[in-house]
Amino acid sequence: MAGSSEGVLTTASPARIRKDPAVTAAALALWLLLGLFVVYPLAMLIVRMLTDNGTFTTTGIVAVLTDRHQIRAFWNSLLLALSVGVVGTALGFLFAFAAARGRLPRALLTAIDVSVLLPLVSPPFTTAIAMIFSFGPRGLITYNLLGLKGVTVYGMTSTLFSEALTYFPIAYLTLRPILAAIDSNIEGMAFSLGASRWRVFRTVTLPLAIPGLANAFLLLFAASLADFATPLILAGNQFPVLPTQAYLQITGLFDLRGGAALSFVLLVPSLIVFLLQRYWVSRRFYVTITGKGAGQAPFDSISPAIRVVLLAACLGVALVIVYFYALLFYASLVMALGANHAFTFQHYRVIFTDGAKAIGDTLIIAGFAMPLGGLYGVLLGYLVTKKSFAGRRTMELVSMINYALPGTIVGIAYLIAFNDPPIELTGTALIIIACYIFRYGPTGIRATVALLQQIDKSLEEASQGLGAGSGTTFKRITLPLILPAFFAGLGVVFIRSMTAISATIFLISIGWTLITVKILENITELSLGPAAAFSVLVVVIVFVVIAVIGRVLRLFRAPGAVPMTSLLGG
Amino acid sequence: MNTVATESIGVQVDGVSKRYAHRVKGEIYAARDVVLDVRPGEFLTLLGPSGCGKTTTLRMIAGYEMPDAGRIRFGGQDVTGLPANQRNIGFVFQNYALFPHLSIFENVAYGLRVRALPNDEVARRVGEVLSLVGLAGYEQQFSGQLSGGEQQRVALARAIVIRPRVLLFDEPLSNLDAKLRVQMRQEIRDLQRRLAITAVYVTHDQEEAMAVSDRIAVMNQGSVVQEGTAEDLYHRPASEFVAQFVGRVNLIRGRVMAIAAETTTIAALGTEIVAGPVRKDLTTGDQVLLAVRPEAIEIARDGGVPGSLRATVVSRTFLGEKIEYLLRCGGETLQAVRYNAGPGEVLPEGVTVSLRIAKSAVTVLPETAASVTSARRP
Repeated sequence: MAGSSEGVLTTASPARIRKDPAVTAAALALWLLLGLFVVYPLAMLIVRMLTDNGTFTTTGIVAVLTDRHQIRAFWNSLLLALSVGVVGTALGFLFAFAAARGRLPRALLTAIDVSVLLPLVSPPFTTAIAMIFSFGPRGLITYNLLGLKGVTVYGMTSTLFSEALTYFPIAYLTLRPILAAIDSNIEGMAFSLGASRWRVFRTVTLPLAIPGLANAFLLLFAASLADFATPLILAGNQFPVLPTQAYLQITGLFDLRGGAALSFVLLVPSLIVFLLQRYWVSRRFYVTITGKGAGQAPFDSISPAIRVVLLAACLGVALVIVYFYALLFYASLVMALGANHAFTFQHYRVIFTDGAKAIGDTLIIAGFAMPLGGLYGVLLGYLVTKKSFAGRRTMELVSMINYALPGTIVGIAYLIAFNDPPIELTGTALIIIACYIFRYGPTGIRATVALLQQIDKSLEEASQGLGAGSGTTFKRITLPLILPAFFAGLGVVFIRSMTAISATIFLISIGWTLITVKILENITELSLGPAAAFSVLVVVIVFVVIAVIGRVLRLFRAPGAVPMTSLLGG
Repeated sequence: MNTVATESIGVQVDGVSKRYAHRVKGEIYAARDVVLDVRPGEFLTLLGPSGCGKTTTLRMIAGYEMPDAGRIRFGGQDVTGLPANQRNIGFVFQNYALFPHLSIFENVAYGLRVRALPNDEVARRVGEVLSLVGLAGYEQQFSGQLSGGEQQRVALARAIVIRPRVLLFDEPLSNLDAKLRVQMRQEIRDLQRRLAITAVYVTHDQEEAMAVSDRIAVMNQGSVVQEGTAEDLYHRPASEFVAQFVGRVNLIRGRVMAIAAETTTIAALGTEIVAGPVRKDLTTGDQVLLAVRPEAIEIARDGGVPGSLRATVVSRTFLGEKIEYLLRCGGETLQAVRYNAGPGEVLPEGVTVSLRIAKSAVTVLPETAASVTSARRP
C-alpha cells in the first residue's frame, strides 16, 4: 500500500538523515583504503605509461600500438576471448539445461556439480598440465596411445580447449538458476498451443534465456581476456596474447613502461565488458527469482531421445574433467609420467621440503587475507546498502574495479605504485594480502548486498520499535542475517588466495612466495611431478575449506543464504 | 491477566506534516497538517487509499519517520524528537517482520531482553502472552514453519509483551486470506479491549475499518478528510470522496431549488427530491450531488408503494441474502439493493418500478470540479 508507493520516493527531509559519526568514520576509512589500493595504483599505471623521467611522453603507448607483434597479441587476445566465450557459454548452457530440465537423478546431479566445481577451485595450471601430459610430445594419448610423433600441443586450439574447460562452469552457474526460474508452465502453454518441443525451445525457452546467455558470454569473455596462466603454458611462441606479453615485457625485458602500456591496451576491452555487463545485460533479465515455489513441472520439455543425447554430452565433458584430475593425481605419484611409471612419494617429499616455504607463505598470506577480505566485503556491502552518505554509489563501483580488471593489470599497477616511496610495499607480504583483499573481497560485497536486499527493512524497524538501539539491532538482527555473506566472502578470498597467480606473480619476492608461482617454476623447469603434487595439494586444501565453510553456513537458518558455489562464478 | 498493567494514555497528533522529494513531481506532501486526538483506550483507524499518507502518519506516531512540522504527544508527553526505541510502542507490520534466525520464543522475548529483564520473568511473560494469542507450545519453532495466521499472532504477541503505551498496526491483515482476515480482526479487537491499550490501525479496507474501530479517520492525499464513528461516516459523509470510499453510494447530480428550515428541495432525476437541512454555504441554484446508499432506495412494482419516481430495471444480480439491481431513472443509473426477497418478489429485467428515497437517506454534497466527471459515470 502506501509503503510500496512511497518506495519510489527518496526522502529529502534533513530530519531523516541523521549524521552518524560511526558511519562517517567507516566511510572515510574505506575511501582511504580504496584510494590507496584501487585508485592510486591505476593512476600510477597510467602516469607511468605516459611519462619518462618525469616528462610527458607517448612513446611507450605508441611503441605498443605500432609494434606488429603486440598488435597481433591484441587481436589474438580478442579472438581467444570470443571463442572461449562462445564455446564456454554453449557448454555451460548444455549443462545448465540438462540440470534444470533433464529430470536427472539426484546423485547424477551432484556428480555433475562436483566435477564442474573442480576447475573453479583449482590452481590455474591444472588443465594446462593435464593437457601436456595427454597431448604433448610424449603425451599419454598422442604418443603412448596413438603413437604420434612430433606433435605440438602449443597454440590456440589447446589454449581454447583448456580455457573453455576451465571457465565453462561460470556459464553453468550463471545459467542454471535462470533456466530453473523460467516457469515450465510457460513452455507447457506453448506446447499445448500445438508447438513442437523444438519449436517451444526455439521460440520460448531460448529467448527467455538470452539475457543470461549474454551475461555468461561476457563473464567468460572477461575471464579469458584476463587469463594469464593457461596461455603462458599452452599458447607457445606462435600465439602471443596480451597478459603474457605484458608479463614478459616486465620480467624478461625489465620494461615497466612497456608493460604498463600493454596493460592499458588490455584494460580498454576489459572495462567495456565490465560496463556492458553491469549496466546493460543486468537490466534485461525477464525472469526474476520469486519466492514462489516452482511446483511440479507439468511439462516435459525434453523428449526422451534428446534427453539421452544431452546426458551423454554432459557425462562426456564431465569425464574429460575427471580424467584430467585423475591424471594429475596419478602424475603426482609416479616418477615421470609418460616415461617412468614407477610409484613414488618423491614429488610430495620435494614439495614439503623445497616447497615448504611457498606452502607456509601461501597459507599465512591466505590466512590474513581471508578474515580481512571477509570483513571488508561485509562492511562495504553493509554501508553501501543500508547507510546513506555522500558517494555511496561511487564507492560501490570503485570497489568493483580491481575485481573486474584482469589480474595482470592489477599486478603491474601495484608493482608500479608500491615500488618506490611514498608507499613502498614491494617485498612485503602486505602487498600480496592487500592485492587479494581488494581483488577478491568484492565477492563478499556482492553477497552482502544481495543478502541485505532480501532482508526487509521492517526487521530492523521491528527491533527498534521493541526498544533496541541501533547497536543492539545490528548485533542481534542484521549481523546474524549477513553472516552467511561474511563466510561466503571468507571462502572465496581464501580459495583465490590459494589459486591466484596473474596479479601476484608481479608481487612476490625473496621474502614471500606462493605455491602457484612455485608450480609455474616447476613447469618451466619441466619438473611436472612436483607441479602435479602441488596442484593436488591445493585442490585438497581448498575442498576441505569449502566443506568446512559449507558446514558453518548450514548452521545459520538465514533466508536466501547464497550457496557457496554460486559465488565462484562471475 | 496482568500482561498489560500500565494505564491507557491518549495520543495527540498535532498539525504533523511530512514532505518527500519525488523524482518526477518534485516535493510532495506524504502527510499534510494531520490532526488526530486518540483517546485513552480508544481504537482509531486511519482509512484511505494507497498513498493517502496513512502509513506515513502511523510511522511518525511510531517514531520511524520524523515529521517536518507538528508535534506528537503520548499522554501529554511530547515524543516528537524521540526515536522509536524510546517511545515504548508495539508495532505490528504488514509482513509481520518476524526475525527469521530466532525461534518464536526469542522473537517474543526480544523486547524483554532489550529491557534486560531477568530470565525467569522473560520466560513467564513470553509464556503468558503466547497462550493469550493461542500459540502455547510453539516456543521452539521458527517463523518459516508457521502459517500466515500463526505468524500474525506471533507478531501481535511480540508487540504486546513489552506492555506498550500504544499499539500500532500497519495493514496487519492484508497478507491473510478472506476468512482468516475476518477471524483475526475480531481477535485483534477483543485483545485490544481486554488489554485496554490505545490503538492506531491502518487499513485501506473500509469493512475492516468499520469492524474493528471505535472511530475512523478517513485520509486522502495526505490529509484527514473526515473523522467519526463508522455510522457517522456512512450516513453523514462530508464529501464525495468519503461517500464513495466508505461503502457503496449513488451520486446523483442535482440543483438546489429551495431551502427551508427542515427541508431542502433539489431538482434531480427529472423530478424534485426532498432532503434534510444542508450545509450553510449552499444557496438556491447551486449544483449539488445527492449521495444515496443503494439500500436506502425503496423499490416496488409499479404502483406497489407510494413513490413518485419511475424507473426501469436494467439488470439484477442474485447474491443470496440480497438482490442488487441496476435501475434507469431520470437519465441516471442507480444501484439499489433489496434484502430478504422471497421467491416471488424478484423484479425481472425491463419491468417498470416505482422508487422512494427517504428524506433522511439523502446527503447533499456540493459539486466539485472533480465530481463533474465522476458523477457522469453510469
